[in-house]
Amino acid sequence: MSPGGGFLLPLLIGLPLLGAIFIMCTPKTEQSLQRGLGIAFTTVTFLVSLTVFRYFNPKESGFQLVFDTEWIPGLGAHFKTGIDGISIYLVLLTTLLMPLTLLGTRASVERHAREFMAAMLVLEAGMLGAFVALDLFLFYTFWEVMLIPMYLLIGIWGGQRRLYASIKFVIYTMVGSLCMLVAIFYVYVKAGAVLGAYTTDLEKLTTVALPYHAQVWCFAAFALAFCIKIPMFPLHTWLPDAHVEAPTAGSVILAGVMLKFGIYGFLRFAMPLFPHGAEVWAPALAVLAVIGIIYGAFVAFAQDDVKKLVAYSSVSHMGFCLLGIVALTQMGVQGSIYAMLSHGLTTGGLFLGIGVLYERRHTRRLAEYGGIWKQMPIFAGLYLIIVMGSAGLPSLSGFVGEFFTIFGTFNAGDSFPANHAHFLPHPHLLGALACTGVILGAVYLLFMFQKTFFGPLDKAKNGRLPDLKAHELIVFIALALGIFGLGLFPRPLLTTMQPATDKFLHDYTKRIDEPDGPPHIYGSLPAAPPAGSAAPVAAAGGTP
Amino acid sequence: MNFNPNDLGWCAPFLILAVTGMLLVLAEAFYKGPDRTALCGLAVAGSLASAIASVILYRQLGPGETHALFTDLDASGTLRSAMLLADRTGYVLSALFAVLTALTALISPAHQREHDWQMGEYYGVMLLSASGMVILAHAVNLVTIFLGIETMSIGVYVMTAMRRRSRRGNEAAMKYFLIGAFATGFLMYGCALLYGASGTLSLLHMQPALASSANPGLIVAGGFLLVVAFGFKIAAVPFHMWAPDAYEGAPTPVTGFMAAAVKAAAIAGMLRVFGLALGGDVIPFGTLGWASPMVVIAAITITIGNITAVRQDNVKRMLAYSSISHAGVLLVGMCALGLGSPTAQSAIVYYLIAYSFTTIGAFAIVSFVGSRGRERLLVDDWAGLANQHPGAALAMTILLLSFGGLPPTGGFFGKFYIFKSAMDVYNGQLLWLVVIGVINSAISIYYYLRIVTAMYFREASQPFAPTRSGGQLFVIALMPLLVLELGLMPGWWLRLIG
Repeated sequence: MSPGGGFLLPLLIGLPLLGAIFIMCTPKTEQSLQRGLGIAFTTVTFLVSLTVFRYFNPKESGFQLVFDTEWIPGLGAHFKTGIDGISIYLVLLTTLLMPLTLLGTRASVERHAREFMAAMLVLEAGMLGAFVALDLFLFYTFWEVMLIPMYLLIGIWGGQRRLYASIKFVIYTMVGSLCMLVAIFYVYVKAGAVLGAYTTDLEKLTTVALPYHAQVWCFAAFALAFCIKIPMFPLHTWLPDAHVEAPTAGSVILAGVMLKFGIYGFLRFAMPLFPHGAEVWAPALAVLAVIGIIYGAFVAFAQDDVKKLVAYSSVSHMGFCLLGIVALTQMGVQGSIYAMLSHGLTTGGLFLGIGVLYERRHTRRLAEYGGIWKQMPIFAGLYLIIVMGSAGLPSLSGFVGEFFTIFGTFNAGDSFPANHAHFLPHPHLLGALACTGVILGAVYLLFMFQKTFFGPLDKAKNGRLPDLKAHELIVFIALALGIFGLGLFPRPLLTTMQPATDKFLHDYTKRIDEPDGPPHIYGSLPAAPPAGSAAPVAAAGGTP
Repeated sequence: MNFNPNDLGWCAPFLILAVTGMLLVLAEAFYKGPDRTALCGLAVAGSLASAIASVILYRQLGPGETHALFTDLDASGTLRSAMLLADRTGYVLSALFAVLTALTALISPAHQREHDWQMGEYYGVMLLSASGMVILAHAVNLVTIFLGIETMSIGVYVMTAMRRRSRRGNEAAMKYFLIGAFATGFLMYGCALLYGASGTLSLLHMQPALASSANPGLIVAGGFLLVVAFGFKIAAVPFHMWAPDAYEGAPTPVTGFMAAAVKAAAIAGMLRVFGLALGGDVIPFGTLGWASPMVVIAAITITIGNITAVRQDNVKRMLAYSSISHAGVLLVGMCALGLGSPTAQSAIVYYLIAYSFTTIGAFAIVSFVGSRGRERLLVDDWAGLANQHPGAALAMTILLLSFGGLPPTGGFFGKFYIFKSAMDVYNGQLLWLVVIGVINSAISIYYYLRIVTAMYFREASQPFAPTRSGGQLFVIALMPLLVLELGLMPGWWLRLIG
């Protein structure tokens, strides 16, 4: 890795912010200019993220392109950003989806284009910041910064029940994040006492072992915030409302990127900080994830509103991601990340497609469609790829992630020494149940596709639907290529994220063997050898 | 008492405010014509001069350096008592009060013109009241504490009643005055009991005297009476009943002044009384000291303030209840101070700065939105503001987010810092209080966002006809920027506070 490039990540966060300020300075009436500027700024941000990827060294397991400067001296809060093999792909997903979304929904925002673009750009800055933040204080700041633009997007440009949906979204998320804040306080103060200086630097905080019970509680607080974001059953009820009311662009970003913060938060913060907490809560999370997979699929099947259907399909798909990480196997974790990327592209595509239809027909009811294949053959073909990708057809993106997470769940516990307590209860049963989610997913998605595109063209209004326009075509071709790419060539991605996931698992297994005690630095307590195993260990390590 | 002429120099911020205030009262007597904007200019100039004097004096002092003023030395030259203390915290606070006064003065002329209550004495009384606040920022003697509180309060009573033709205004002033007088009684009595227990009025010397006092009963009673008296002043539950009515009835700029400056000054007084005199090993209330009743008061103040605010439809009343809950957060900091958290004092001062700028800005916008005959105080009246005045709506949104404690605003960092100080307390005794505070933040988001929802997500029934005035627009534009700056770069402010 070339040593430079530290400025790239702050630049990546700063560019959209700059764009937002710039757009707010343009005159109100110049709507097409503002749309163009929005697309331009997000595209430049995407190019910068590609540069980040060039600088990224896939062989290294630690954080790269680290930028670290003191932010609040008295409190030890740093502006510290960096990426590793886990976050780089999520960053790329964000920066890719952003311009595609703005391009695809260009025509649909008729009022306040200036404010819309500014909100989207602030949202992008918040998301990118949260993905690259390596400081708890900074992460929390970006985590909350994401909230307000999305609230405004739903509330200003949303549908009929937007007031209810927007406030529900904010309150749900806030309750979770404030619980997380209390846990952050706790870690901050306890770790500060051990380290000798207060700090919110993640890498320093993860060297501190907290007492067992504190870990259990703090993990629960973090998990609440993240599970609401994912959203995990039974905390998912905000999601259908938010999705149905949000404008297309909002839905795409919400499902495509924001839900991933839940999973990412577990990987980056909750599990490294509180390994014992993860151990205690993992079975519960796994069971709820499986319930979410099946429940989401069944409820999706029953929907007549396409947006609600896709929203519940997100509950189901994100269940796979959660299951993968709590399995704590290499395949599970990698599969989870892969499933997140795939879900970002496919669900983003599904929502964009719904947006395309909605713009032409102004309804989201499945019963209003039918036989559209003949009217919009190009769209139908591309949409089929997206639907199949989401349903997990082999050779498309969804398959790899789901296969890996289920396989990882079957093997849960394999990455731990045999004497270790960390096992998911009945991993085979959980894996098998999750499998049914794949089948159900195919059922409701194909059912949706069939009702929309096949059958007789019996509604007069569907008679003259224009096919994709050029800018929409670009978006859908790009998404379809991405879905094919992820499905056909998983190896490059998996091998480049492997050092980071290996490190994650290695650190986790190491930390979980730490004996319980007052807050201390890992490894600083003399380990009390278990009574039975003391002699063999000594013999193995002794001179022959 | 030895009179040292140099002491007057250290009092320059107070003297400038008092003299300008008196000049303003005189000027009003000789002033012809209906418009009082020129007097407003003088008031702004006077308060800014006072703020600059505070800055200059602040720079004269090193960190931790103090000068006792108006001292009483015994024969051997040891300090027996002092009236005021020149220290960095004091000057930060007195500069804050002076700036808040200037900001209030800037937003007043528009409201006066629009609602027809043009009186020049208003500015004079405001500056005199502010001079009382500056005394409080430096007071280290029960006498000066009392003087400061009374000078400040009497001025604010008058300001509340300034809009003579408004019946609500009169009711508010009466209520505020009666309750305030009642609180003064508690304050006086509490001071007397503490003097009886310690034999000194100087807060600098009271703590050791109390620790060796033969009358712990007097300390408990006196301390408790002071908690009650200050509870009234900062509108802590259950002493808050006057606040919503007074806030609603007072002219909007005065409400801003009351919610921001008066509350901050009362907290400044508490810092001295509870931090200095009753701090450390003086344990008048069981194991936690005076913090034990205050912990309870803080918890119920935050909770009741917030829950009641949820049910308000009137923006001014909502902000009144929200300011009650903010007083509760400040009391959390005060408890942390009492239990020995090293960062509690700077956390409180930082929170005061962030909170009072947010408050002044918010009331400036409330005043901006209303017009003659239609004050638009209901949340529903704010519908569609974003369409017609996007700047004001954006400013209000930022300020409300700061109230609600969302990053990256000063309000977030203030709460973060106060709760962090509370977590510092030995053994995490205040963890539950932090949890209550944090839960309440979530509740508060709901009602703050009600205003945002009205402004952005709904359409206006009637066009807004706000009064435009340069000063008001300046405050509305500046406060959100300042609040963001406070949140993004708190380091500078923390160094300042020390």
